[in-house]
Amino acid sequence: MSLLTAYPEIAASVPLLTEDLPAADFSDTPWWLSLIKSSMLFTYVMISVVLVIWFERRVIGQMQQRPGPNRIGPLGILQTAADGIKLFFKEDVTPKGADKLMFYAAPLIVASLAFVSFAIIPMGGDVEMFGHTTPLQLTDTPVAVLLVLAVAGVSAYGFVLAGWSSGSTYPLLGGLRSTAQVISYEIAMGLSLVAVFLYAGSMSTSQIVEAQQQSTVLGIPLWYVVPLFFSFVVYVITMIGETNRLPFDLAEGEGELGGGFHTEYSSMKFGMFFLGEYINMFTVSALATTLFMGGWHAPWPLNVVFDGALDQGWWGLLWFTLKMWSFIFFYVWVRGSLPRVRYDQFMALGWKILIPLSLVWVVAVMLIRSAQEGYFGDGRWVTVLTLGGIGVFVLAGILVWDRYAQRRLAAREEAREVPEEIDPFADGYPVPPMPGQRLVEPQPAVEQARPVTVPAGPTDGDDSTSPNDDDKERRG
Amino acid sequence: MDYHPYLPVVFFLFFGLLFAFGSVFGGALLGRTTYNRAKAEAYECGIQPTPQAHEGGRVPVKYYLTAMLFIVFDVEVLFLYPFAVAFDQVGLFSVLAMLLFLVVVSVPFVYEWSRGGLEWD
Amino acid sequence: MGGSMFVAPEINYVALLPMIIVFVGGLVGVTVEGFASRRTRYAVQVPLSVATLVLALVALILLGQDNQGLTAADTVALDGVALTLQGLVLVLSILGLLAMSERFGGDQPDAFTQSGVSTPGSAEETLATKVGATTTEIYPLTLMSVGGMMLFVAANDLLLLFVALEILSLPLYVLSGLARRRRLLSQEASLKYFLLGSFSSAFYLFGAVLLYGYAGSMRFADIAAAITSGVGMDGLLVPGVLLVAVGLLFKVGAVPFHAWTPDVYQGAPTPVTGFMAACTKVAAFGAMLRVLYVAVEGARLEWQPVIAVVAALSMVVGALLSIVQTDVKRILAYSSIAHAGFILTGVVALDVAGVSSTMFYLATYGFMTIPAFAIVALVRSAGTEATLVDQWAGLGRRSPWIAACFTFLLMALAGIPLTSGFTGKFAVFSAAVSQGWAWLAVIGVLASAVTAYIYFTLVVQMWLGDEAGDTVVVRPSWMTSVAILVGVAMTLALGIMPSPVLDLAQSTAAFLR
Repeated sequence: MSLLTAYPEIAASVPLLTEDLPAADFSDTPWWLSLIKSSMLFTYVMISVVLVIWFERRVIGQMQQRPGPNRIGPLGILQTAADGIKLFFKEDVTPKGADKLMFYAAPLIVASLAFVSFAIIPMGGDVEMFGHTTPLQLTDTPVAVLLVLAVAGVSAYGFVLAGWSSGSTYPLLGGLRSTAQVISYEIAMGLSLVAVFLYAGSMSTSQIVEAQQQSTVLGIPLWYVVPLFFSFVVYVITMIGETNRLPFDLAEGEGELGGGFHTEYSSMKFGMFFLGEYINMFTVSALATTLFMGGWHAPWPLNVVFDGALDQGWWGLLWFTLKMWSFIFFYVWVRGSLPRVRYDQFMALGWKILIPLSLVWVVAVMLIRSAQEGYFGDGRWVTVLTLGGIGVFVLAGILVWDRYAQRRLAAREEAREVPEEIDPFADGYPVPPMPGQRLVEPQPAVEQARPVTVPAGPTDGDDSTSPNDDDKERRG
Repeated sequence: MDYHPYLPVVFFLFFGLLFAFGSVFGGALLGRTTYNRAKAEAYECGIQPTPQAHEGGRVPVKYYLTAMLFIVFDVEVLFLYPFAVAFDQVGLFSVLAMLLFLVVVSVPFVYEWSRGGLEWD
Repeated sequence: MGGSMFVAPEINYVALLPMIIVFVGGLVGVTVEGFASRRTRYAVQVPLSVATLVLALVALILLGQDNQGLTAADTVALDGVALTLQGLVLVLSILGLLAMSERFGGDQPDAFTQSGVSTPGSAEETLATKVGATTTEIYPLTLMSVGGMMLFVAANDLLLLFVALEILSLPLYVLSGLARRRRLLSQEASLKYFLLGSFSSAFYLFGAVLLYGYAGSMRFADIAAAITSGVGMDGLLVPGVLLVAVGLLFKVGAVPFHAWTPDVYQGAPTPVTGFMAACTKVAAFGAMLRVLYVAVEGARLEWQPVIAVVAALSMVVGALLSIVQTDVKRILAYSSIAHAGFILTGVVALDVAGVSSTMFYLATYGFMTIPAFAIVALVRSAGTEATLVDQWAGLGRRSPWIAACFTFLLMALAGIPLTSGFTGKFAVFSAAVSQGWAWLAVIGVLASAVTAYIYFTLVVQMWLGDEAGDTVVVRPSWMTSVAILVGVAMTLALGIMPSPVLDLAQSTAAFLR
């Protein structure tokens, strides 16, 4: 209860921004320098991907008490390179039912678009490069975050086209699942970002980083992970959903779809999906770092020691990389800990929990900020708490009602007539049940081992061995 | 030439495309190719492939429902963005207008929910 | 950051109350759909929606007079024309809603499908029938559409006009696809209506953008001022006006934008067709009057001939093509096209008489169309609606009252004296003649004669033809009866003593600018 009442105070402790935030300054960046920075960023991303594949396998290995790749290079660090070279020389199979053009276009879309979002991530302060002062950020626009969401939306085409063009059942299902998944979670993700924009008053990534640095309490920068903790949680959940990673990797679902949308892909075309997935992981982690964890700025107190020398220039790259990799570690940790969820549970989580809760949260943040702006005049907390209370009440009502409806549905299911029981081994070999039939529950071994009491007296009928006895013998 | 904010994005996309094209077509050229009729069939765990998946087959109507819901909510989120960015300039009137908008969008959402549109079976 | 740059507009909520009531009623209807059980939905929805419409009408009558004016940053103009047409939309929609609610004493909706999303003839459809599913969503949909229509006639801004256009159109697209019988035809109608409607919306938007480029504003008053002062970018005005007009002419179904009308009128559930024909025409003509008279009146020389040609074409094509029709619903559809032409004759006049005669004609047309389609819904053969002319043969002997009502409505549609059709046509033609559009009036009279011919053959079939096999007239409940009786009574009243309504139309025919 105390946390409940205290939280609005924390959220409201972030002071209002009174002046325009400084945005990244690209005025001294000629086009050729942008080109050089693009190639540097490209290298950074590629090295990260190569490292993360090895990192993931090692960490998961340790979590599962096995060494992981340890043969090629020290600690197996060259494993990814070996895998990549192998992929290049694998046979490139195109199934005969495939739509050739789209079959080739899909991996190209996924891989090339995956890079784009990284362009707007600020990775450090201003640095000297070839005689020009330029920020460690490829570019920034007033709608930079929108660019990330737009690119994520377009790369969903890659997955659905991959599934559709394969001309095969599992990929089609995987592609559809992937799209439904991405678009469902994109809404909750978008809603969680609204709160950040409400606080920062901007959609430019460098300005959002600056806003976090300036919203200080007792001199400590209050990164948005603190006042907007709920948004952060929603973002982290949705970023796992968006990138098709365990426990939400339903679009691939090896157990049920045999690989999902990339079932029919092989060689480097498959490699592109693989690569795209990992780059997307980095993109959403980098965005989380930028929006919630203070971006490239050093954590307190490192940002003030030595007159802030550790908080400018190339140092930013270090802090940024550390923060981003902590998200990557979280990804791996989650993958190592949680089993895959069921698809209907996954959709229910998105539509019935994350979206309504995010909506209420956005409204709450909106009201808190309104009260801070003085829109409600004096005695503002009364209004906010009342409205917030109403929101929680309505939401609880909806949740309770949904549970009630589910229970009613379950009751109706139960009341349905029981389908006819069949013995799968009746004809000597196992037969799956037809619709409207159900199998006899297999008897546990203990029960079977129990001594059978033979009734005294003659058995009626001449068949001494019923099919049931027969099959018990066979199974035992 | 003045700095254009989207030019580096184009550069970066260019690198991405270069890499993707190089890999996909390089892989196709380097890998050996042997024809095998079974290999060209659609993969379905060894059973005869279902024919209707060819050319995409028919997509269950459920997916369209999700897509429509997505459109509604994505537009809602997109309305929220400029409002959030300009929040300190728009005043109480806009806050109330946005609340009204959220309520109006929530009513059909509740309808959809209670009529089972969000059940995935 | 920056100071307060945004100034909240003054909004006269009292003046907007009728529209607010209708929209809130629609939202409540959606909520009821979500939570009420299947059995109670119909019993809740019918009183709820009728009460909403009646309440809005009462609010309009009590508050409208004293709250006239421009409001919401001048984007909504609540003047005499807007209030009159809003009232007309409300009255007609009450009648339409009653006709839609007809169940003939059963517990299943008569005209509407069990479940709109199921494939016709599929297992889901059978299941929906078995569990007694009903499509009571039609009530909120209708209310939303009515709210859009009320906003449409009051919109004083191209952007708001577009919003209203979409609010009124989208529910109609859905409603036309919900017929219980001949569902494939109904779904085809819905899709056609939707696709063509989207195209016309796109035309409208393009025109609105051009006008914005011309005047630098979407407000009608600013556009009018820009035309008067001649400061705008030349070359954008005329295409802009014409493209906006295309969007509006599509809604009324004027030639050459009429192609959807027969198919949609035929495929949609019959009571919906009646509602759509009457109320959409009122709303679209109301918006057209405001755009043409308030916003671009200064450029009249550019668009008046075009509208006149469209009017003439609509009358001629609507009349001539109705001759070859064999289906009653299609005959009424082509008659609606011809009537769009007649009403446009009044619009072209471009003076106060033009406004008042157009409004009067809209009232007469609405009151004869809804009962006409309500009667079509009653004539059955083998369980489905018998819409072929041959099936109507001998109806006069089988159920003389219904046949008499329909005959009277046909006479009104043809414009025979002592019916409202005559007084309406007289009003628009005299307005056109007084402004020098006599040739339009001549074409109008000739077209009326042609339509009279086809109605006459239908009447002859009904009274003198041999009785067609199994055609029966279902006994309506009080709801359809009220819709038919009110419509017929109004048609008769407006034909015999039109002066009260004509006076009302004349006294409210001034636009606020």
